[in-house]
Amino acid sequence: MTLRADHVAGAFFVGFGLLVLALSTDLPTGSLSLPGSGFLPKIVAFLTIFFGAVLALRAGESRPFAAVSWDDVKHAAMVIGITAAAVALFEKLGFLTTNILLIFALLVAIERRRLLPAAAFSIGVVAVTYVLFVYVLKTPLQTGPLGF
Amino acid sequence: MESTLLSLAHGFSVALAPANVWYAFLGCLVGTLVGVLPGIGPLAGISILLPVTFGLNATQAIIMLAGIYYGSQYGGSTTSILMRIPGEASSVMTCIDGYAMAKKGRAGAALCIAAVGSWIGGTFGVLVLTVVAPPLATIALRFGPPEYTALLVLGLIFLAYMSSSSLIRTLLMACLGLLLGMIGIDNMTGHFRYSFDLAELGDGIGIVPVAVGLFGLGEILSTPSASAVKDIISPRMRDLLPTRTEWKQASMPIARGTLLGFIIGIIPGSAHIISSFLSYAVERRVSKHPEEFGKGAVAGVAGPETANNAASTGAFVPLLALGIPTSPITAVLIGALMIHGVSVGPTLVNDHPDVFWGFVASMYVGNLMLLVLNLPLVGLFVTVLRIPYAYLYPLIIMFCIIGVYEVNNSIVDVWIMLIMGVVGYALRKFDFDPAPLVLGLVIAPILEQSLRQSLIMSNGNYLIFFSRPISLALMIFSIGLLVLAAYSFILKRADWRTKLAEVEAGETET
Repeated sequence: MTLRADHVAGAFFVGFGLLVLALSTDLPTGSLSLPGSGFLPKIVAFLTIFFGAVLALRAGESRPFAAVSWDDVKHAAMVIGITAAAVALFEKLGFLTTNILLIFALLVAIERRRLLPAAAFSIGVVAVTYVLFVYVLKTPLQTGPLGF
Repeated sequence: MESTLLSLAHGFSVALAPANVWYAFLGCLVGTLVGVLPGIGPLAGISILLPVTFGLNATQAIIMLAGIYYGSQYGGSTTSILMRIPGEASSVMTCIDGYAMAKKGRAGAALCIAAVGSWIGGTFGVLVLTVVAPPLATIALRFGPPEYTALLVLGLIFLAYMSSSSLIRTLLMACLGLLLGMIGIDNMTGHFRYSFDLAELGDGIGIVPVAVGLFGLGEILSTPSASAVKDIISPRMRDLLPTRTEWKQASMPIARGTLLGFIIGIIPGSAHIISSFLSYAVERRVSKHPEEFGKGAVAGVAGPETANNAASTGAFVPLLALGIPTSPITAVLIGALMIHGVSVGPTLVNDHPDVFWGFVASMYVGNLMLLVLNLPLVGLFVTVLRIPYAYLYPLIIMFCIIGVYEVNNSIVDVWIMLIMGVVGYALRKFDFDPAPLVLGLVIAPILEQSLRQSLIMSNGNYLIFFSRPISLALMIFSIGLLVLAAYSFILKRADWRTKLAEVEAGETET
């Protein structure tokens, strides 16, 4: 049997529904006349399992899992990695420093742009955005250890 | 009627205040850019720019954000006609004949017809909204928990029935959204649910990090810069006015698109996308020359473009009258108003007349602005398209982070956005449309509360939903839709989704 995209997706949703049910064991279901906090989550988890199973059972209509294109996964992983690093640093370094580093890293590491134009672009757009938010729109942005 | 006109006059006095005109203009301009740029849809655009409205009052905020919404419908046509790339999902149909017209040297005429059709569709929508929303809000005041439950159930079923992906996929996305919407403190018992000892999750997961992650970051992850297209047809300004024959060919499709779009807009689901597809299908069916479709038929541009703008306005009827979001975009708008201390629902028209009528009047102003803005400035928007994507997406990521962080000053929200970006990327790989997930997330608290209140009211008797006239009517409608959906599902009949998928596949191949 060919493994199809909907087999994988359906199995994921069945697993996810089961996980929600497992996490809901301490939530009271209550009764019909007085539903508890676990009442609707459990119903929706069962529906997720049901629909996931239907998706997997009708997977014959979907394309083979091997045909799902993952050409862009390297790009996606690098963007996620660099953005995650920026998020981790955001409250420590503040808006200006973090975003200059974020844009510079994306341009140099992923887009292979030359260092000087990348640096000029990063500093320029982040500075303009800072002025726009802080002075024009009066929306304060996260400050770093140096006060900006 | 007289009181409606008086209220509308008051609305114009609010909307025409210089500051409000400025924010309507800003919203329309940004919206057009959002529509023009592939990769940023109106949902991500509105979510990212939400913090920009924090310094504004509620009226200015909703005027600007709504401007982004309907502005994006106008802007989406530009890339469809000039580049054969739908800047926005609802512009897919415009690509076919719009680009064919552009190749024949009629790009200017296609843009003009799209802009005029959008204006007529949008303005008609606002006219009906003006008349229909206040009385509908009065009726909605009679709604109790069973009616709200029935209405939300109908909304979910309608969404599944009308969504652009398959029924099961839509229901799965809605379930996922509902489950995410149940994270946090249970309002009725005080239980913490699925919060994993994170205090920030006590209030639940916000719509902004989810929407920005799924639609903003998720789109960027799926779009490597090498795949960005640069082939653009530049229209000549002297060719901007359509000929008399083209106007004649466009008139009836515009009229039909207006009616069709508005009616579909009121119905829950991705109305602006569905309306443009249905309008195209209707035009091809009623045309005396269906063979011209795909080769530059004026009706293929006029109908869908008019319909998607009329639908965008129609979507505001249930939002303003009932407080019910019928699409993820209107859900974000509800969130925006709540941030500004305005609760949306049947009482909005009486509690905040400035917001309600100022917003309605601003849509007349905004639609006129877009007509003036889109045609002369088309060259400027085309120039924006020439910015290399490699420089554009780092900026979008920066705005995603600012947008999400500024709502609650919470870094947890930014992490949620990042996770949702990965989820959005994975969902695209497996052909899931993330829009129902966002809608499920938004309606989860309302649905849960009204369902539980209804059951408590009836001492656990489910028949309460069938014993009150309004909820009975809504439930019968829901059951009817389920039967229709099951009929197509079991017989595997090709419905409009299949046909849309075929059209989109054809677009990709060419």
